[in-house]
Amino acid sequence: MQNGRIAVPSNGEGGLDATRSGHFGHCDVFTFIDVENGEIKNVSTIGNQGHVQGGCMVPVNLLASHNVNALVVGGIGLRPLMGFKQAGIDVYHDSQRAEIKPVVEDLIAGKLPQIREDQVCGGGGGAANPA
Amino acid sequence: MIRILLASRNKGSMSDLEAGLTGGDVQITRADSGSKGMSMISENIFDLVVTDENLGDMTGLEFIRTIIAKNPMVNCAAVSPLAPGDFHEASEGLGILMQLPARPGKEHAERLLDHLKKILNTMEIK
Repeated sequence: MQNGRIAVPSNGEGGLDATRSGHFGHCDVFTFIDVENGEIKNVSTIGNQGHVQGGCMVPVNLLASHNVNALVVGGIGLRPLMGFKQAGIDVYHDSQRAEIKPVVEDLIAGKLPQIREDQVCGGGGGAANPA
Repeated sequence: MIRILLASRNKGSMSDLEAGLTGGDVQITRADSGSKGMSMISENIFDLVVTDENLGDMTGLEFIRTIIAKNPMVNCAAVSPLAPGDFHEASEGLGILMQLPARPGKEHAERLLDHLKKILNTMEIK
């Protein structure tokens, strides 16, 4: 991904050196990484809105309204995944690493796969939380 | 205006719920099968779909799965006799906002509307 905004569900205050949240809908904050010509140009964070049962479109709306192009998750449900697809946000998957920075670097380098529907929570394949 | 679709092959099973939802700024539409419900959803905008456990041509959860594949923005509630833990397992990933008992009543209508309004208000980005 050479240009655009990446969102990573994050723990605590977020940021490039923070750790990833295992459930995007329940994360503390989203870390935004703005990329230009393959380089990280800016890092910012935004607080997640409180999670309400059935409110999984709230973060979809939140990220879409903040011009996010790509999201990296360790796990996600089918409904929010469909929501992100409808919003034009690509969803990438890494279920192994807890740190944000190396996962973002791999996404920028094109090494991160997009999540498949059979990998979603409840989608049959299951998705593990980051270590 | 809050637009709600009630999907049930037996109209009586949701009559109390419908009575509790009716009034104010709520518009109710009925579908008596999953396929009819999908047809209505493709042609109209709904804020909430409430499905019975079994629609004849598909189960309520299958109906919801079909809905979110086409329009994930639609909020869904489902009647299910499963224990909460089992329902959570069976509906994982579908983002269902509320499980309802068989023949939901007026009190469920109030909780459902309150919950839906909370979500709709949160969707308005500040």
